[in-house]
Amino acid sequence: MTEETRVGVDIGGTFTDFVTVSEGRLGVTKVPSTPDAPERAVLDGLESVDADGVDPAAVDFFGHGTTVATNAVLEGEWADTALVTTEGFRDALEIGRQNRPDIYDFQAEKPTPVVERDRRYEVGGRVDERGAELEPLAESDVRELAAELRETGVESVAVSLLFPFENDDHERRVREILREEGVDVPVSLSSAVLPEIREYERTLTTALNAGLKPVMDRYLGRLTDEVADAGVDAPVKIMQSNGGIITADAARERPVNTLLSGPAAGVQGATHVAGACGFDDVVTMDMGGTSTDVSLVTDGEPFVTTDTNVGDYPVSVPTVDIHTVGAGGGSIAWLDSGGALRVGPRSAGATPGPICYGRGGTDPTITDAHLLLGRIDPGAFLADDLSETREAVESAFADLAAELDTTPEGAAQGVLDVANANMERALRVVSVERGHDPREFALVAFGGAGPLHATELAAALDVPRVVVPRTAGVLSALGLLISDVIYDYSTSRVRRLADVDARDVRDTFSEFVAQGRERLAAEGRTDETVQFEASMDLRYAGQSFELSVPVDPDVDASTLDEARDRFDAAHERRYGHASPEEPVELVTLRLRARGLVSPPDLTVEAREGAVSDAVRETRRVVLSGDAYDAPIYDRSLLPLGGEFDGPAVVEGAESTVVVHSDQRVRIDDSAALVVEVGE
Amino acid sequence: MTARDEAGAAGDGAGDAADVDPVTLEVVRNACAAIAEEMNANLVRTGYSPNIKERRDCSTALFDAEGEMIAQAETMPVHLGAMPFSVRAAVDRFPRETLSPGDAVLLNDPFRGGAHLPDLTLVSPVFVDGEVVAYAANRAHHADIGGARAGSVAADSTEIYQEGLRIPPVKYASGDEVNEDVLAMILANVRTPEERRGDLRAQEAANATGRRRFADLAERHGDELPTILDAVKDYSERRMRAEISDLPDGTYEFSDLLDDDGRGNEDLPVEVAVTVDGDEVVVDFEGTAAQTEGPINAVFAVTASATYYAVRCVTDPDIPPNHGCYRPVTIEAPEGTIVNPTLPAAVVGGNLETSQRVTDAVLGAFGSVVPERVVAGSQGTMNNVTFGGTDPRTESPYAFYETQGGGFGGRAGKDGMDAVHVHMSNTMNTPAEVLETAYPLRVERYELRENSGGAGQFRGGLGLRRDIRVRDHEATFSLLADRRTHAPYGLAGGEDGEPGDAALVDDDGADVDRLPGKTTRELPPGSVVSIRTPGAGGYGPASDRDPAALARDLRLGVVTESDAKSTYGDRLLDAAREYLSE
Repeated sequence: MTEETRVGVDIGGTFTDFVTVSEGRLGVTKVPSTPDAPERAVLDGLESVDADGVDPAAVDFFGHGTTVATNAVLEGEWADTALVTTEGFRDALEIGRQNRPDIYDFQAEKPTPVVERDRRYEVGGRVDERGAELEPLAESDVRELAAELRETGVESVAVSLLFPFENDDHERRVREILREEGVDVPVSLSSAVLPEIREYERTLTTALNAGLKPVMDRYLGRLTDEVADAGVDAPVKIMQSNGGIITADAARERPVNTLLSGPAAGVQGATHVAGACGFDDVVTMDMGGTSTDVSLVTDGEPFVTTDTNVGDYPVSVPTVDIHTVGAGGGSIAWLDSGGALRVGPRSAGATPGPICYGRGGTDPTITDAHLLLGRIDPGAFLADDLSETREAVESAFADLAAELDTTPEGAAQGVLDVANANMERALRVVSVERGHDPREFALVAFGGAGPLHATELAAALDVPRVVVPRTAGVLSALGLLISDVIYDYSTSRVRRLADVDARDVRDTFSEFVAQGRERLAAEGRTDETVQFEASMDLRYAGQSFELSVPVDPDVDASTLDEARDRFDAAHERRYGHASPEEPVELVTLRLRARGLVSPPDLTVEAREGAVSDAVRETRRVVLSGDAYDAPIYDRSLLPLGGEFDGPAVVEGAESTVVVHSDQRVRIDDSAALVVEVGE
Repeated sequence: MTARDEAGAAGDGAGDAADVDPVTLEVVRNACAAIAEEMNANLVRTGYSPNIKERRDCSTALFDAEGEMIAQAETMPVHLGAMPFSVRAAVDRFPRETLSPGDAVLLNDPFRGGAHLPDLTLVSPVFVDGEVVAYAANRAHHADIGGARAGSVAADSTEIYQEGLRIPPVKYASGDEVNEDVLAMILANVRTPEERRGDLRAQEAANATGRRRFADLAERHGDELPTILDAVKDYSERRMRAEISDLPDGTYEFSDLLDDDGRGNEDLPVEVAVTVDGDEVVVDFEGTAAQTEGPINAVFAVTASATYYAVRCVTDPDIPPNHGCYRPVTIEAPEGTIVNPTLPAAVVGGNLETSQRVTDAVLGAFGSVVPERVVAGSQGTMNNVTFGGTDPRTESPYAFYETQGGGFGGRAGKDGMDAVHVHMSNTMNTPAEVLETAYPLRVERYELRENSGGAGQFRGGLGLRRDIRVRDHEATFSLLADRRTHAPYGLAGGEDGEPGDAALVDDDGADVDRLPGKTTRELPPGSVVSIRTPGAGGYGPASDRDPAALARDLRLGVVTESDAKSTYGDRLLDAAREYLSE
């Protein structure tokens, strides 16, 4: 099933991006975001898209990346929520794991509990670690608290008892009683939101889900109404943190699964464009004004983790693993009191921005360092007086150079070296630390500043090539159009693998498959476009962190043996040692139901002409301390299939690519630049 | 004889460290920190002991060829200042010219570079071109290292010989081959040998990561590296000296007390005189109690660690931790005291409990001159709890050890944090579900302890209560805790926090038998132990508390009306009630 006309809308802090695909043609539209009512920018954009010839009535697919849940968490603006938990555990949500957020900072603060103490209720009843009932649910406790809930007027309820992943009877009964007693607000059960071991993380995730439900419900209610009013018949689909698309109703049910909606879409988009260039193993690098996000993709699949933080809160739902460092184009360089050159974490942001924006910035930033070294076009920033801003940049670096006892250009290069050291550390975390060899990867660079740094970073990490996609500025919106529909199911089953009954596992997976199939069928998916991927989280008995290994959902005894072998191999790869003689423990069973989306064929019109015709000018550019009279290419004029050597700078509408002297560039059929980094 | 730790003057033996440019300095410093962190991630993720994997009771660090620390992963404060002593002891025993690639030195002897016996430290030389260029080291708290009690955190030892297996620096591996004789001897002396084997393997792997990464770094920088590393240390030293210069000169004294040593010796003073003189600090423990029979003697490495921690906190915690930070600090601890004992003192609680009192005392001294830079007395104990026995489900022996958080002191401008690990500890708890799956125990209660935070303009953090039931078997229970009689102190006019407490309780949670702070008991099946950890001291006079803050405490039930009436008085209580009725 190929939709003819697709629209992807990603809401960012400054701009709301639209990517449309209509009859194989790709369209890009950006409108200013409207943070007070994000849906307004969506409507503005739809009008603009309409004006560009994409008829809303013809839209078959409408995908959306939302920051509503993220912002609510970061700003602490979730709904008034109550928590029902096992007797004796009222404060587990607040105590957390007992560690303090910073060892040496006496002013550090624990995160505010998602549900305050006077909204946390206990109920009697206990289930053991195998799911056996030790003590029946104290139904009278539930009825009593239901009466209070009606009075306090909470907007949402979370229920998180102990061991519900082994036996969810008590949690379901709590919900039933709340309904019987007239509590008619949404109820989130931990056995549904995150049926996995570790009560604090599960309870927190469930409480966040409950708190976000009314927020997401209101937002999606408004959005779907208005999108429909704008003439779009297609249902609104939402990107989840795991890189899969779900229905708006599913997102209303599990808003906690959308906390990294936009960034996950960006990684999906980067994965797609890299795949179109023939690279399935990539590290993505999105460098913006204040920070840089990096992530790992293997075999065309972004790395998914269940160990993420959003703001101060650990969130344990499957999430595309994105590692962030506080270095962006606006990061400010400074010499600290011990005499080390530091870059960030302070950023000039968008206002006043770097000095070269000409909006009153006075502190030297990464972007200014690029300008001074000739790597970016001084005319690109629309400053009123170019020579004045240029002088301001020079004077700032002259000051820094005096402190560093070097030349202004030496100081600028130093700023880039320090920033690159920070980013290199992040790139190592996602690649080398996970047992991957960077020499087998491509680095996909996007965001305004990513392609300015990527070629140098790739050389430092021995990554052989850098890909700068054509749509580098709107990869999140593009990601919405090419991502599969995904529903994840899981449950913890902590026991020795040797004691696991293959039939039980098969039954669990069959149950998940049935749920997934039903869900996908409701979205019009036929069996041909549906796929089920099972995996088991395993560890050596006694360890505490698991590795997920894929298995055939149709489990028999040999499947378990294979899983064990795969686990040994994965452990060896990730940590450098394995213990095939040691017993292995099963922790969690996972199943991913996937509705396949056939990505649109985005052909690019062939461009005529020679590479040399794309040279806009020759400019003095300093690369790694050496000055060159380097050609400056206009990206839009480069012919497909063209090749040229560095040193060079390629300027495009969305970003600037720096090519070093020993590097070679090729423009591939998707109009992406592929830089061969060389030895 | 007084042990004295002086880290020596800046730039020893490296004339040109000052020439290292600010960019290289920052790039290499970053790279070293990243290596230590990666070692730590590796250790936590592959460790077997809950102490390592769930609670992160482990640390990793890099040392240069001279054995001076250049970077560490910041997880466990009590390890951080003490690791250099391990590397020094390892190198004293095996000078670098005697080491080969793939060698590793293991030790835990508190009197030769260790802290207490459960902490095993592994030191591995890093070779480039046949030369030792650095050492990768890590320390991990093992769940059992033998001795009289399961878990090796006995509250009733009187000599180190009862505390477990003592390992002086020994060659644990040669050329990447583990010395099987050494390993066999260790495993024969511990209760859970398979777990020990797994933890040691994780420790080896962490150092292997450090060796690999550091060798890469050394290749990038070639012969310049030793000079750059000197510059990294000098950099931290410069910043530390600048910070110390900001403190008013003078000598500041403080005395705090440990409750007892578990052997009837009570009210043991930790006395300190902190002298700030220009850009240097001298911390002198003259007057501290003589070493004692019970297991609360803190070897000098532990005392030094606790002191460095306090100094770092009152200066700038952002200064990268390495040998340079320690240079401006001199510590003097008279030999034969609980802060510098001699053989055969029992020491397990020195690392856990006395270390906290050392921090309390040093912070208290600084509090008399710069109260806004410190906090009121925090819980001041780690509340070490051990259960051991035979799991009836598997008929295998088990040892479960955990520590408990409590109140963090009130501070200028903020209430203290509730129920966290304080100062020398920063471990995570063991989740109840993980605990019950792995051990024949059940958590029956896990809650904040109401009214336990000391009153003040800024209230002390609350302690917590954790009740654990012994399921279907007989268990040995051991508690090693302090601050049961001497409460965490209030600061700047704030009130003291509530001391800790423990009891055996009945099915309704009511006390049937109070337990002292340091005790070991055999418990019949079905027993429930209830641990209540201390609340912290408050900051500033209680009468200055914002009624809105008191109202919030009342609404959340962390302070009860009757308690508020006696501590904050009628006027504030009435004002708070008004807030509540609005």
